[in-house]
Amino acid sequence: MFSRTPRQDSQLLTQRNVYILPTRAGGVLAVVLTVLLVASINFQLNLGYLLTFLLAGAAVAAMHVGHATLRGLTLHLVPPAPAFAGAPAPLEVEIADEAGKRLRHAIAVGVRGSTEPAWTDVGAGGRATVHIAWTPPGRGLHALPPIEAETRFPIGAFRAWTVWRPASELLVYPQPEAGAPPLPPGAPREGSARHAHLAATGGAESEGVRTYRRGDPLRQVVWKKSARAIAAGTGELTSRDTAQPAESDLWLDLHQTGATALEDRLSRMCAWVLMAEQWSQPYGLRLPGVEIAPGNGAAHRHRCLEALARC
Amino acid sequence: MLSGLAIPRSLQTLPRDSRDTLFLLAVVAWVIAPLALELKPWTGAMAALMLAWRGVLAWRSAPLPSRRTRVLMLLLTVGAVFASYRTLAGYEAGISLAILLLALKTLELRARRDAMAVFFLGFFVLLMNFLYSQSLPLAVAAVIGLLGLLTALVQAHMPVGRPPVALAARTALRLMVFGAPVMAALFLFFPRIAPLWGVPGDPARARTGLSEEMRVGNIASLAQDSSPVMRIRFSDLPASVAPPQRDLYFRGPVLSRFDGRDWTPASEQINGRYQPRWMAPARLTVRGPSVRYEATLEPSGRHWLLVMDAAPARPEGAEGFLSADLEWIASRPLTNLLRYRAESYPDFSLSTTLAPAALTEFTRLPDGFDPRTRDLASALLAQPSVAAGGTAALIDAALARLRNGGYRYTLEPGVYGRDTADEFWFGRKAGFCEHIASAFVVLMRAAGAPARVVTGYQGGSPNSVDGVWTVRQSDAHAWTEVWLAGRGWVRVDPTASVAPDRLEMFRAQAPDGAFGQAFGAVVGAGWLPGLRAAWEAVNDRWNQWVLNYTQDRQLDLLKRLGFDDPDWRSMGRILGGLALAALLAGLAWNALRRRQRDPWLRLYADARRHLEKRGLSSTDAVAPRTLARFVMARYGGAGRPISDWLLRLEAQRYAPRQTTASRASLAGLRRQLRGLAWPDTPRSALQRTRTN
Repeated sequence: MFSRTPRQDSQLLTQRNVYILPTRAGGVLAVVLTVLLVASINFQLNLGYLLTFLLAGAAVAAMHVGHATLRGLTLHLVPPAPAFAGAPAPLEVEIADEAGKRLRHAIAVGVRGSTEPAWTDVGAGGRATVHIAWTPPGRGLHALPPIEAETRFPIGAFRAWTVWRPASELLVYPQPEAGAPPLPPGAPREGSARHAHLAATGGAESEGVRTYRRGDPLRQVVWKKSARAIAAGTGELTSRDTAQPAESDLWLDLHQTGATALEDRLSRMCAWVLMAEQWSQPYGLRLPGVEIAPGNGAAHRHRCLEALARC
Repeated sequence: MLSGLAIPRSLQTLPRDSRDTLFLLAVVAWVIAPLALELKPWTGAMAALMLAWRGVLAWRSAPLPSRRTRVLMLLLTVGAVFASYRTLAGYEAGISLAILLLALKTLELRARRDAMAVFFLGFFVLLMNFLYSQSLPLAVAAVIGLLGLLTALVQAHMPVGRPPVALAARTALRLMVFGAPVMAALFLFFPRIAPLWGVPGDPARARTGLSEEMRVGNIASLAQDSSPVMRIRFSDLPASVAPPQRDLYFRGPVLSRFDGRDWTPASEQINGRYQPRWMAPARLTVRGPSVRYEATLEPSGRHWLLVMDAAPARPEGAEGFLSADLEWIASRPLTNLLRYRAESYPDFSLSTTLAPAALTEFTRLPDGFDPRTRDLASALLAQPSVAAGGTAALIDAALARLRNGGYRYTLEPGVYGRDTADEFWFGRKAGFCEHIASAFVVLMRAAGAPARVVTGYQGGSPNSVDGVWTVRQSDAHAWTEVWLAGRGWVRVDPTASVAPDRLEMFRAQAPDGAFGQAFGAVVGAGWLPGLRAAWEAVNDRWNQWVLNYTQDRQLDLLKRLGFDDPDWRSMGRILGGLALAALLAGLAWNALRRRQRDPWLRLYADARRHLEKRGLSSTDAVAPRTLARFVMARYGGAGRPISDWLLRLEAQRYAPRQTTASRASLAGLRRQLRGLAWPDTPRSALQRTRTN
């Protein structure tokens, strides 16, 4: 039914795309009205008729009020920032009352079928921003799910709703591997004088000591110092601190991750990209059919992660 | 616990949940209150207790009672109702149970579903109020109650923030205002039908008023009751001309059997239905001018159609028949407000075709009662004037004795003993109309003159605002009729001899019902008689137009609307027609609103729609100039006319001066838009090349 509606990032809600149906509470209200009517007939209560009909009239008015709460609103999707797989990627939706006629209450916006929508009111002529909980299904470029805005205002007897398919797509990076192994050794750049030395020390130059970090190669541990620490009971290991030399190029290759499954490998690559970015270590990416020259910075990081996402 | 009480908190700082709950509790209390005044006191007290408990919990944001406690309370409630009424299905038992369940339900207001249950129960309780009274003050109270319930309902559907109660109240009021036309249409045209099934007896609605028997002391109890019995509009008389008080006798039951203490009619009830004993038909002769009037009779639960003496023709709008005693008897007990038009002739004579021997029934007295009255009768008969003048002279002699014998008219004559007539004539010499009438008839019968007691209402008071007369319970009266050979039954009102100004003596002032009484306490205090008159006038309109809107009046209305033979189908047609009209009005309004949009924007929107169909979507925030650039980029030369048109459109909008000439050019632009050639979308163009 909704596949007919065109995908767009801004949607004006009109008579054509706002639907309304009674809720279960509305059904109970209908039963209550029937019983009130029968009571009025049986006891011949003219005031009972008036009460029943006034309540029925109010319910009819509530239907219109509920529909008007959504009608005339504009839903606008704030283009989503790329996210990592497995993590929630809240969608930001702006709801604006362009007509500026009335305060609109109790609008619930959520991914279609979700049980925890975000609630908001929209002031007359104002706008409100809601963050919709959504966890993308996995890595890759995803179409956004249909978004549903609904309201049961004012008396809960009717549910007015609209379904909107945003046109934007969301890029989902692979999930970074938790506790990924340290970065692979960088390949020495051609013509570097310290090439041989670096190869001997494991691709890094020793510049001091620091506390052991998980993933440090064993040969970097300062065993003498560590032994003393273990004897003293603190159990803290000490590593040689290494700074990645600017002269070395770090190539992250999908075929040299040490994992087998594609997703695991991409996960590890992703973690490495983040790690290298954190230490400002220039890195390049080698994927089947894609090679990204070593570099650094937010744009480069995005380029690499996008390549991983689309791989 | 004490600390919770010690910290004073204002309503402003109360958490929203607590505030909403307190508001709902206040509404529930408001809805229950009128019923609590009618039911057994413990019901109201128990409901109040539960509401107060819930209120304290809300105030302190304390947790609700456990499920076990609630089940226990429920059992206690049901048990209490059963113990009090010996049933759960009865009329009052059911209402008590509903009230208590509503109060109890507030103790488990957790989810929204519970809240809905409270609202729906609240609607039922509102309706139950009307079983006791449909007075205007109660209707106003019910409207306020409905507004309160809807406000709480709206509030429950405003989950964001802490909206002020007034905001929800405004929405609720809007719903009711918009709902009012629907209500009016349905009220006028929803077919009125008879009850679908019998309803249980209704002791709560048993009214005070005249009963079929008169025990000395009955009518005195009515004297303090100023609730209205009927309202009368004299259609022919100008409001300023009061009908003479001596004509305002409204006949109720005629009592001719006396057992020494109680007077009963010469008729009996069979299966709860009033069956006048067979009697020879009345021979009623009327003379002189008639009085036409429209009467609205309050429900009495009895059969008496009150009309002024004497109405020979059946009151229009009522069903019933004329008994031999000139009583108009309704074919069903009057459980609803009834309106009818009647014509009465104050000057009439009533005789019967009965043989004179049959009149002995009206001279019968129980043996062994009132010996001194019998002696008095003999003494009167022995007077020469009486001996010469017959029954008429006897009446005069008895009235003279009443006037001059030191008899007093009082509401509190004390308790009468066995021989009531003796006690009146010789002992206390004081009494109310029923004592006087009873003693008078006993005296007449002892003297051998056929006589009987007539009960009913005498008098009434006009409303200064709309000229409608109100007859109240306090106008209840008993008078007598004595048979005069050759003239038939003649009305004799012995009370008038004792207290000629009876009408002015007792006038308690309070309209019906608890709310009415509260209202009357304010309005009827005596210092604002004009306001009171206005109030009664409004009340009369209320009775006429709302409470007495019956099937007959509904059909009348349809006839006036031009239906020759109206039935429920015509009403369905009218309702359908109204719904259709409302729908069309809504559509027209929508179209009008669309039309009212800026014509330039509409034209631009049309153009954008054309482009959107071809895959170039835009919003109205995009300037025509920008859109023109897009068109050129997309279609190249083929898009040139469109792009030019868009630029002209922009020039039109932002031309230096808005003149009539520019509006004409807008029409020109619209014509040009229709003539534009729209290029194919590139994709379909692509497809075509591929298929080639």
